[in-house]
Amino acid sequence: MKTSVALFALVLSLASDAGGFAREPEPVDFANDLIPVFTTAGCNGGGCHGAAIGRGGFKLSLFGGDPKADHESIVRQLAGRRVNLARPQESLVYLKPTAATKHGGKQALDDSGEGARLLLRWIEQGARYLTQRTLVRVEVGPLRHTARALGSSIRLTATAHYADGSTRDVSRWTVFRAEDPSAVRVEAGTAKVLRRGRHIVVARYLGEVRPVELIVPMTGGTVDLAAEPRRNFIDVEVLETLASLAVPVSGMADDATFLRRVTLDLTGRLPAVDRVRRFLADGDAAKRATLVDELLGSQEFVEYWTLQLAKLLRIRSQQKKGLITITPQAARAYHEWLAQQIRDNVGYDGLARSLILAQGHSVETGQANFYRTVEDPRAQTEFVTELFMGSRMRCANCHNHPLDRWTQDDYHGLTAIFAKIGREQVVKLSPIGKAIHPVTGQPAAMRIPGERLLPAETRDGRRALADWLTSKENPYFAKAIVNRLWKAMMGRGLVEPVDDFRGTNPATHPVLLTKLADDFVSHAYDLRHTLRRIATSAAYARSADATAGNIADDRYYSHARRRKLEPEVLADAISDVLGVADRYGREPDGTRAVALHDASIESDALDILGRCGRKASCEGAGAPVGALPRKLHLFNGALLNERLGVSGGRLDESIRAGHAPAQIVAEFYLAALGRHPSRTERRFWAEQIDAVDASDGRRGLLEDFVWSLLACSEFQTNH
Amino acid sequence: MNRRRCDGVVRRDFLRVGGLTALGFGLGDLFAAERALADSAAAGARKAKARSCILIWLDGGPSHLDTFDPKPEAPAEIRGPFGSIPTRLPGVRLGELLPRIAGMLDRIALLRAVTSPFGVHNFAVQYLMTGYKPTPALEYPTLGSNVAYVRSEIEKKARLGVLPANIAIPDLVSRDRAVIGSGYLPGTASPFALGSDPGKSSFKVRDLDFYRGLDLTRLSRRRHFVDALESFGREKDATPGSRTDPDLERAYNLIASAGAKAAFDLSEEPLKVREQYGIDPRRNIHDSNNIGQQCLLARRLVERGVPFVTVNNTGWDNHADLATYANRHPGDPNQGQYALVPGLDRAFSTLIDDLSDRGLLDETLILVMGDFGRTPKINTNGGRDHWPNCFSVAMAGGGVKGGQVIGGSDALGEFPTERPVTPPDLAATIYTLLGIDPALELHTRDGRPIRLAPGGSKVIRELIGA
Repeated sequence: MKTSVALFALVLSLASDAGGFAREPEPVDFANDLIPVFTTAGCNGGGCHGAAIGRGGFKLSLFGGDPKADHESIVRQLAGRRVNLARPQESLVYLKPTAATKHGGKQALDDSGEGARLLLRWIEQGARYLTQRTLVRVEVGPLRHTARALGSSIRLTATAHYADGSTRDVSRWTVFRAEDPSAVRVEAGTAKVLRRGRHIVVARYLGEVRPVELIVPMTGGTVDLAAEPRRNFIDVEVLETLASLAVPVSGMADDATFLRRVTLDLTGRLPAVDRVRRFLADGDAAKRATLVDELLGSQEFVEYWTLQLAKLLRIRSQQKKGLITITPQAARAYHEWLAQQIRDNVGYDGLARSLILAQGHSVETGQANFYRTVEDPRAQTEFVTELFMGSRMRCANCHNHPLDRWTQDDYHGLTAIFAKIGREQVVKLSPIGKAIHPVTGQPAAMRIPGERLLPAETRDGRRALADWLTSKENPYFAKAIVNRLWKAMMGRGLVEPVDDFRGTNPATHPVLLTKLADDFVSHAYDLRHTLRRIATSAAYARSADATAGNIADDRYYSHARRRKLEPEVLADAISDVLGVADRYGREPDGTRAVALHDASIESDALDILGRCGRKASCEGAGAPVGALPRKLHLFNGALLNERLGVSGGRLDESIRAGHAPAQIVAEFYLAALGRHPSRTERRFWAEQIDAVDASDGRRGLLEDFVWSLLACSEFQTNH
Repeated sequence: MNRRRCDGVVRRDFLRVGGLTALGFGLGDLFAAERALADSAAAGARKAKARSCILIWLDGGPSHLDTFDPKPEAPAEIRGPFGSIPTRLPGVRLGELLPRIAGMLDRIALLRAVTSPFGVHNFAVQYLMTGYKPTPALEYPTLGSNVAYVRSEIEKKARLGVLPANIAIPDLVSRDRAVIGSGYLPGTASPFALGSDPGKSSFKVRDLDFYRGLDLTRLSRRRHFVDALESFGREKDATPGSRTDPDLERAYNLIASAGAKAAFDLSEEPLKVREQYGIDPRRNIHDSNNIGQQCLLARRLVERGVPFVTVNNTGWDNHADLATYANRHPGDPNQGQYALVPGLDRAFSTLIDDLSDRGLLDETLILVMGDFGRTPKINTNGGRDHWPNCFSVAMAGGGVKGGQVIGGSDALGEFPTERPVTPPDLAATIYTLLGIDPALELHTRDGRPIRLAPGGSKVIRELIGA
């Protein structure tokens, strides 16, 4: 209350300063009135004068984040030629945007429009830096709107609330931008939804950004999901969202599909042929839950989930300019440390803590390589925030994040903590390390991002950082990891991209995300616990076959998503089906691709299948190999051809054992697809087999059958 | 109200490139939107003639002083071991190892004041090949990837057959082994690397020929089986659309198309043509770095409509012994006619003549460039080191106005004295010549709009013919 009174007094005094204008129009407030004019006209966007180097010699802060500097640019730079107080209409800052003189950006302001009039009035009033009001918040309406039909107009409004309690309608000066312009058209403050589903419009006014959710149900009518099973809170939330969007669900996956799906998700491998037979024959009603527990407790789970986390942590040996920086031994030590954490079921909070506080010799203390993975403290800041907070802080290196709360102080303050860690072969404290803040040119003060400065005498800020990150109240840490676990199981993050959490990128199921995070925290940050929750939900067990009513759904889990197998998993699956192992560098015979501790171990197969080199985040990264060379290789390369009919392989053994072709077909179906062939399929293959000569054509035909099984999408995906 | 951006393109956002869903929803809208933009881009550059581009990349960085920007008046330690010769253009001289080019300089434009701040290969290559200064935050697509993407995904040229839209001969790998490719664009835009060198007698494109024991009948059966499995696996799925895997189909079509594969078969060329480009069949010397045969293959590819071909010719990082420019080793049986610079002279000039004879020169842009120039002062090993401050680029065909030298360097070839050109300018010019708006925006996976050529880049207008 006290501050608002003081502010009010300040406003009064400013107003009385401007007393000379008593009968003139209201003085233009540079920061509150004029900056939004520039923003709505696009002047201070990243493609124009808001670029880090400005444009055409004129620089504005990105989206007006620094009004004081913008005033300086306009009024003082270029020897003051941008404003002409004697003849306001001849000011460059007026002539350019109204395109009265040559302007690279053409006409940005209509000279008869309100924006141009405000600009002119501001110059007439002396082009002063005047802030009369302090913006407290912007209220955007509606925050969430469900329309019944496509194409209806939804009016978007924005109201600014100021410290003195006053408000203003700033809809006209707010930029509303659809995240997906092919789904929502926004014009003059009105949104029209063009495609069914849930869409986001981002509203920006000054430094404030808010998401607006617009929903048009996927189908015209309603759906009744009351009878659908609700095995835990996941199902409650998923079904509620589906009901609000009127999306019907697909049926449940059959046992064979479920077995293959969950075995791939939890252990990165196909279920063995006899396991498939046993599971299908098992009459126990609780067999799926039993299976999940069995998988979570297996050695294969440790191996595969070590790989998942190793990718997140980018574990690999490294060379820079020919110098080895992370030796293969160090990469192995790091990988083994990680595997031990998974084996011991260490809580994710503990794991994060060990990484953040890691120090020691990088070959002896594997986790010390956490500080040797990226090149410098700034990169460490970006790495750590993407990893543990799901936040992209890198924008805040050069300017305050335009879509998020992060400031340059946050970025460089966190960097200051990491700057005190020496990144040599032995990772240890380096008290002289500092991070220079690019704005001040001075060492940045250590800071917990978005929170507080650390005392200047702090020697090792990592402890405070670890305490803050892993505290139960931390708003980022648990959500970032449960979202990744969800994606690993369900094929899509509740927030996508998984490393881009921010207010303007809301989750598809915000309540579910919170519940998953709370559940995870209250179960000691146990990765297996959350994976079990997901694996035992009905949402996870749904069929991947879309129905006519839910084809269009790609994010609400009305049916399971078909997901490409990761390169490592696919390479192992190929070897398992063929019954012939592949070779990986100089690793011992029989080493599986998912168990490789270093992404730089030689393997043609993994290169062709497009493994992630772990140089940067592997999440969402495109495969470096084009699809065409990969398919050419499938046809004519060694990956499949070399091992198809080789002596000692599954096909050769079956033929030698005298199995009938139909039996061989059935056996490969079990090995590759984890199911029996359907009647149609049996008939199809019987016809193919009958069509060739039994003596010399049959082996070739079976090879072609096995090849096609390994090349088809049912095999190459988890579904 | 028509609100325009800096680039003059009507404000319109595009679905991010990487955000396509597995189900492909909204693709129609995406393409409609992109076409709208492509149309406006095409309108802006309707005079463009070039359909295809051959980039002759001299990997390592050729010396400008010993090729396109000799300094005959300079002291010996600058001038170097080679003399200079007059050209078709009065007052313009070239290095003595480029007699054929000198004789046709009226058809070539030289940029003699290209300048870049990067003196290490990795950064220099990225800057020139993408037009963007390298940053760890984002990998930019190369010129070739952008052109391939625009041609095949936005313009959707029907003439693009089964051959890939971006081909690298023999590959496109930077010196630190990082693949230079499609950046944030989809993998289809990345260069299709042949993985084999057309200069070698053993030249064979990877995975185009049948694996031992296989033939087209077998592959056709395999594809038929895959199609059958695709439909069995989706029997109960209501998702409409083709059950065939489009990439598998592309691969099969390429393998099955004798015509397309023939593009890679240099033996179809008359011996005389192969010799013109530079090959010595009498001695059966097959050179693993034969720029002539690389250029001949590039011609065969653009002839078949491939939008972008990179000839990646290695061996131009000559820190020692510049004499190897003229003669690879003492007693070279070919008297040096296939050494680095004479090889370039022969290949580049033959390519221009050959394309011209076939009526393809106007629609094929040829670029000759490398990482950077070399230090004007000869070093103690008789070589030259890296020099990015000023170097030369040669361009021909594709609507380039030949017979001109744009920009100049000082007396020692150290710095530009007039009309400096930056890699962004170069990129903007190349896109413009190819009829692509350099201001066209594509989106990164996280939705950042990125122009093909950076904001602030300036097209070298005088380079573009009427």
